[in-house]
Amino acid sequence: MTIDQLRDALLLATLPNVTFDGWSLQALRDGADQAGLDSTAALRAFPGGVADAVAHFSAWTDAETLARLDAQPLDALKVREKIALAVRTHFEVLEPHREAKRRQLSYLAMPQNVGLGLKLLYATVDSLWFAAGDTATDYNHYTKRALLAAVVSSATFYWLDDQSDDHAETWAFVDRRLADVMSVGKATASLGKLGALLSHLPSPVRFARQIRQRSGSAGIDATTLNRTEAV
Amino acid sequence: MTESTTLNSPAPRMVGSLPGDPTPRQRLARMVRVDHAGEYGAKRIYEGQISVLGKGRHGKTLRHMADQELVHLQYFEKQLNARKVRPTLLQPLWHLTGFLLGAGTALLGERAAMACTVAVEEVIEGHYEEQLKHLGPDEAELADSIRVFQAEEVEHRDIGLANEAEQAPAYPVLSAAIKAGTKAVIWVAERV
Repeated sequence: MTIDQLRDALLLATLPNVTFDGWSLQALRDGADQAGLDSTAALRAFPGGVADAVAHFSAWTDAETLARLDAQPLDALKVREKIALAVRTHFEVLEPHREAKRRQLSYLAMPQNVGLGLKLLYATVDSLWFAAGDTATDYNHYTKRALLAAVVSSATFYWLDDQSDDHAETWAFVDRRLADVMSVGKATASLGKLGALLSHLPSPVRFARQIRQRSGSAGIDATTLNRTEAV
Repeated sequence: MTESTTLNSPAPRMVGSLPGDPTPRQRLARMVRVDHAGEYGAKRIYEGQISVLGKGRHGKTLRHMADQELVHLQYFEKQLNARKVRPTLLQPLWHLTGFLLGAGTALLGERAAMACTVAVEEVIEGHYEEQLKHLGPDEAELADSIRVFQAEEVEHRDIGLANEAEQAPAYPVLSAAIKAGTKAVIWVAERV
């Protein structure tokens, strides 16, 4: 058993205990017991204790979501549909472990764990965008993730208390939030049009070039003069 | 699935490394990130120079060098995506400062622009050399590409020297300042 298999096995055995014990060492020890692992397994798998187990729950969710999405024909979909499907798959993976997710959020809400929570949220949206085939390598890489982080985190709270059949209300909520995100894109596009207007204003570079060419033709700078003649 | 699980779990540390040292995966991520940022900056420097000197006698040379930098940039963009490495957060800053450096030195004159090219490419050449030392046989493809890019950066430096870079006004000061700036930017782009 590799260390990753050990982590997965221990995590899956621990998740039902978390409903009762919260994310605690006791839950991990009971989980190791129920999975038939020896008593040192919990320490070997998660040397950092509960925080490591919480982080691995998130990592496991992301990996499982990616694996399920890989089996789907994503290429035919639009970006928005891909993301909607990715978010939906994320919650479907979490479905059997809803109480563990709730307990995880209360663990991450403690002040000393807020940093870890943000890191895990980033890893999740990063992996969802990766699944959707995002290739942005400029600052859009970050704006996309920030927008999706807002969608995923708010949708998580909605999903935790959603009593509707088959979570129909959560999917509608996600769709509405994604529509909000799309309107952000439209707003920035109209800002871009405003930016295009700026190019009609005087440009310092153009101005400097003209000055250079004029001073060149006045014979002050010999090399510039040569160049102007060559042109 | 197994692959991304390994990515998320703490990677095995190299022998002789200390706690807090970057793991091999972090090291590689830094490498790809800083190279992408660097090529992006280089592209912007040449764009800045072309905006001022593009119609002059060096226009064709500058465009040739800018085209080569664009190929490098596209290679590293692919690497970022394939390796799931985040790009540098300061990309808008490199967008602006790269252009200003290129346009600024070009405004000082053609020789100063070439001096800027020489200074930057010299630092980049050393930076690639340093990276090649750390790349093992498992990253042969990346190392080969970096070697090709390194040769082209040296070519750019030689073009700069052939075009009277060393006769630029205040060459030692200009060159030292740009070199120090480039090194600082490399340090930041690796981390942020």
